[in-house]
Amino acid sequence: MFANVARSRLLPMSVPFRYFGAAAAFQVAAWALLAAFSGEILAFGIGLGPVFAALHLVTLGVLAMSAIGATLQLLPVATRQPVRALWAVKLLWWLLVPGVVLFAWAGATYRPLALGPATMLVVLALLIYSVLLARNLWEARGMKAVVAHGWAALGCLLALAAMGFLLVGRYEHGWAIDHLALRKAHLVLATFGFMGLLAAGLSGFLLPMLALAPPPPKRWTYAVLSLSVVGILLGSFGFLLPGAATGLAAAVLHVAAMERSLRARLRPALGPSFVLVRVSWACLIASLVLAMLDFPGGPLLFGVLLVPGWLLTFLLGVLQRIVPFLGSVHAFTAAGGTPLVSALTPAPLLGLHGALHLAALGGLALGIVTRNALLVHAGTVAGLAASVAFAAFFVFVVVRIRHGIQPPHQPAPA
Amino acid sequence: MEFNRHISRRLHEEHEATLALWGRVEATRARDAGLLSQAAAALAHEVERHFVFEETELFPRLAAGGEGDIAALLAEEHATIRAAAKRFIALAREGRTDAEARALALELAERLFAHVQKEEMSLLPALEELVDEAADLELTGSYST
Repeated sequence: MFANVARSRLLPMSVPFRYFGAAAAFQVAAWALLAAFSGEILAFGIGLGPVFAALHLVTLGVLAMSAIGATLQLLPVATRQPVRALWAVKLLWWLLVPGVVLFAWAGATYRPLALGPATMLVVLALLIYSVLLARNLWEARGMKAVVAHGWAALGCLLALAAMGFLLVGRYEHGWAIDHLALRKAHLVLATFGFMGLLAAGLSGFLLPMLALAPPPPKRWTYAVLSLSVVGILLGSFGFLLPGAATGLAAAVLHVAAMERSLRARLRPALGPSFVLVRVSWACLIASLVLAMLDFPGGPLLFGVLLVPGWLLTFLLGVLQRIVPFLGSVHAFTAAGGTPLVSALTPAPLLGLHGALHLAALGGLALGIVTRNALLVHAGTVAGLAASVAFAAFFVFVVVRIRHGIQPPHQPAPA
Repeated sequence: MEFNRHISRRLHEEHEATLALWGRVEATRARDAGLLSQAAAALAHEVERHFVFEETELFPRLAAGGEGDIAALLAEEHATIRAAAKRFIALAREGRTDAEARALALELAERLFAHVQKEEMSLLPALEELVDEAADLELTGSYST
């Protein structure tokens, strides 16, 4: 299907794209599940069920899946070290995809006994990823701030995988553990820890590259990392208020550093994807403010701001840019040269996707605050439509590359 | 990124100048005739000097340092940009500012942005390692003459 390009630090296109494709499919599945069982969202607290399954379809199926695909492609560029075991990258995908499917099915259908094998598959996949990531970081040359974020994220990933394993042990075998404390630590390590630190680290390299801007000052970047690690440790050990306050300081400093960098950009147009990135930053800060205020509006509102609000919105904004960028790198033809990124960027479709995704977030947040089930349902339907639009965008890029691209007569604005 | 080698800094400064100029072309949607003429002149100079220097002096070093595939990708992009530049410069010399010239200018702006992105991300950081102090002085001297 894809050309077998082997450019030292550039993986063959099929490798990152299989992760992005799976993430696009899992996103549709997550929103479809939420739309079908939207009546259960307002009552969601602890335990299995469709909302639990949808949450993990997003965290494992979309966020972790894309993070793995993106880091395995982008980190080698930052660290100047190629991924040395392509077979392991492919094996990882073959473990993670069925693991996520089985986990979501077991969670949605209240089958705790099936969670065990699903978790084994997921944890095995994450361990392989940890080895690949550690090896790349160990041999890294350059981009020390990105590498430092990578090590911190890796530490969180290992701790979170261990906690996920213990939580499933409780569901499956009734292990006597402090379930609530472990669940909170699992949440902090997964969101602010693994995903958050990877997002912050890669932001310092990727966003300036996309915007043609200087990177944020190193001192700011290391200050963000230090504050983040302290906040994550405090939050993981149950000190929620100081953890949230430290995390908030890190988030504000991170956003200020990135905005400072973006203000100095050399290309005036940032494009609609950066609207999503900025909304995601607002959601991050709002989630930490809520945590500091002891969750007014309930933990559900916090969860919406944290997972679909911050992490998913950020990821979608970034994927809107890097999927066509990577596609153009791999789509060179002797006749047409390297295609324009704009030829792989369906602007109206991405505009629709962004609008629907933001409508979904608005509907969910407003519905939860007002306890209005209809608004919550409308939010999930908008989310489902957004995820379908995003999947269509992904298919558009793949099909255009597969069938060749003619140079456009009029490039689209960025 | 901060560059320690003279040659990396020099190329980085030229990239910044290119981005600033073509950023203005894109911001005006290539409707400013004077700007198009300025862009064509700058592009002719860039293709003659900057591209040729990279192709003859830097890409071989990149390939020798184990980054041959990235060097090939950047060279492929040079070829594409060079072909579009040739057409654009010819149109600019004729004083053309019609739809064809504007579309070509916008295409070039996008290609140059993407190309500079890749060089800033891969070529310049690699040069920091591949080029020692003596080679740095030699390359900078050769590029300046």
